Amino acid sequence: MTAMIEHSGGAQRDQPDAGAGSAYRRTDVLTQHAVEQFLYAEAQLLDEHRYVEWIELFADDVHYWAPTRMTRTHRERDREISDVHQSAYIDDDLQYLKGRVRRLTSGVAWSEEPPSRTRRLITNVRITPREDGELAVTSNFYVYRSRLERHEDWCVGERFDVLRPVDLDATGYPYVVADRRIVLEQTTLLMPSLSILL
Amino acid sequence: MTPPVNELVDADRGYINPLVFTDQGVYEQELEQVFGRSWLFLAHGSQVPKRGDFIQTYMGEDPVLVVRQKDGSVKAFLNQCRHRGMRICRSDQGTSRTFTCSYHGWAYDLEGNLVNVPQEERAYRNEIDKSKWGALKVPRIAEYKGFYFGTWSADVPEFEDYLGDMAYYFDAVFGRWDNGVELVEGTSKWVIDCNWKFASEQFASDMYHAEVSHASALIALHEDPAFWAGTSHQTLMPGRQFGGNGHGSGSFWADSIGFSESMYNSPALSEWVTANADEALRNVSEQQLLKVAGHNTIFPNFSWLAGPATMRVWHPRGPGQIEVWAWTYVPKDAPDEVKAAYRRMTQRTFSPAGSFETDDGENWTEIQQVLRGWKARNNTFNAQMGLGHDERDVHGLPGRTSDALSESAARGFYQRWSDLMAGLSWSDIAELDAARQAKEALHQEVQEA
Repeated sequence: MTAMIEHSGGAQRDQPDAGAGSAYRRTDVLTQHAVEQFLYAEAQLLDEHRYVEWIELFADDVHYWAPTRMTRTHRERDREISDVHQSAYIDDDLQYLKGRVRRLTSGVAWSEEPPSRTRRLITNVRITPREDGELAVTSNFYVYRSRLERHEDWCVGERFDVLRPVDLDATGYPYVVADRRIVLEQTTLLMPSLSILL
Repeated sequence: MTPPVNELVDADRGYINPLVFTDQGVYEQELEQVFGRSWLFLAHGSQVPKRGDFIQTYMGEDPVLVVRQKDGSVKAFLNQCRHRGMRICRSDQGTSRTFTCSYHGWAYDLEGNLVNVPQEERAYRNEIDKSKWGALKVPRIAEYKGFYFGTWSADVPEFEDYLGDMAYYFDAVFGRWDNGVELVEGTSKWVIDCNWKFASEQFASDMYHAEVSHASALIALHEDPAFWAGTSHQTLMPGRQFGGNGHGSGSFWADSIGFSESMYNSPALSEWVTANADEALRNVSEQQLLKVAGHNTIFPNFSWLAGPATMRVWHPRGPGQIEVWAWTYVPKDAPDEVKAAYRRMTQRTFSPAGSFETDDGENWTEIQQVLRGWKARNNTFNAQMGLGHDERDVHGLPGRTSDALSESAARGFYQRWSDLMAGLSWSDIAELDAARQAKEALHQEVQEA
């Protein structure tokens, strides 16, 4: 299956990049299917608090990043979302992402102990194969969180991932996440903290 | 029945009535007496570098525009049109020449003066005096080491007098570099369902919570379990807490310059700090560099840490809610690599997703929930840690200090709060504080004798 995905990726190199020309993606069914199933599996691991397995889905060189955002005029909208040198809620390498996993499984991370209950909806999966054989994947997410007695909040936004093909038979998954940018729709987060992973 | 507002806290005995965190009437009075009469943080100059640059922020619940003027000064005015009260500007930040209300089109210049009224001839017969209908200006703005503070009060002392001994602790962090600090662009904003005083007081006075509340933070920061008990080790280190004029600052002491920066785990950052130690020592004392490394609040709601480089305002949103607006500050002259190291570690620890920050909000929201109970609300909270053990001008530190594990600054915070809430004038408060200090000196003499 891995080989097929690599092949299908290679066959679509002429497809325009995201943001240029048609927004329509001519993704082949197998690639679309594999990517969606991968994202669903990842969401399941998080909803089930299987963080130690979840962290294995990330590449050694991953940049896992959630920039801040502000309200700007239409004219200045290109400056609405922070760039890599500006503010972020999350700005992790693999080492720190592993640290978050250690924290969440420590039993003393009080913002997640007792743990929140989450349900992740991942939709609108759009795939653009890249020259290097990796896939640029954009998806929408809606993460509902229920916490303690009656607290609830929602994280809604878009994720920009780069998925790197790996040996499905060896790892149980067809890709690792080589890059992730998480863009939330809220500029003022209507939540006491972002203690869950996105 | 709510007791009289000046009986809700007893700073001398360390009692807090939880109604101060829940009562709507108390909150309305806070907006007028505390937020309406204190110096409030508006912006750092780096947020509005060029003329016409503006940000929108809040003074209490009032939206204000902070604008860099043509002459380089910074002015601020209420973000409210004088015609029907619409917000004049609806962006968080930007660059502009005028601010035009999107309701009927009244337009204001960078100082907030009303400069254009649509259909002025037909609708107003040219009878409107535009000079009288400018946006409400923040009458007093103080610039201190690149930071801008504003107040609606005509009577509050000048900003440096308002700071008092807190200036020593502020300067230790923000005054150490020749060209000061700048804020990383972009604000982290989030909402916590808790009273603003929990957050403000904690940053003024609470080193005590770290060991328990932040038990997991060091587990996130370090792979090696040998480091996980770090906060417990810290409690064995010497340290002091300062309280004065309602402000507070507390630190465990570093044993060498650059020690506080070792947490960043960045060789580039540590090398830069060491290489520039002479510059820091020209601007502040060695004592300041070693003994000011922890938590800080300028009364009422501006806080920062001197380890992780986080700075924030706790904007009140009713008795049971705040908006946290947080930034990372970095030395302006540091190379990009060093600024990035400050930024990353500060965000990893104290952004709304930070390994320390998330656990703070958890405590405050739970307290606020519990205070829905009638019995819980009519209970008494204990703020007696270190009561009677304050000293003045010891260990080379100015002002009233006590051990780092103390609630001395919290008692001072609530004393200032109580004085303002009682409606005392600023001159009355100054007299009272002088009398309290005289009594304190007497107490110290008796103890020494």
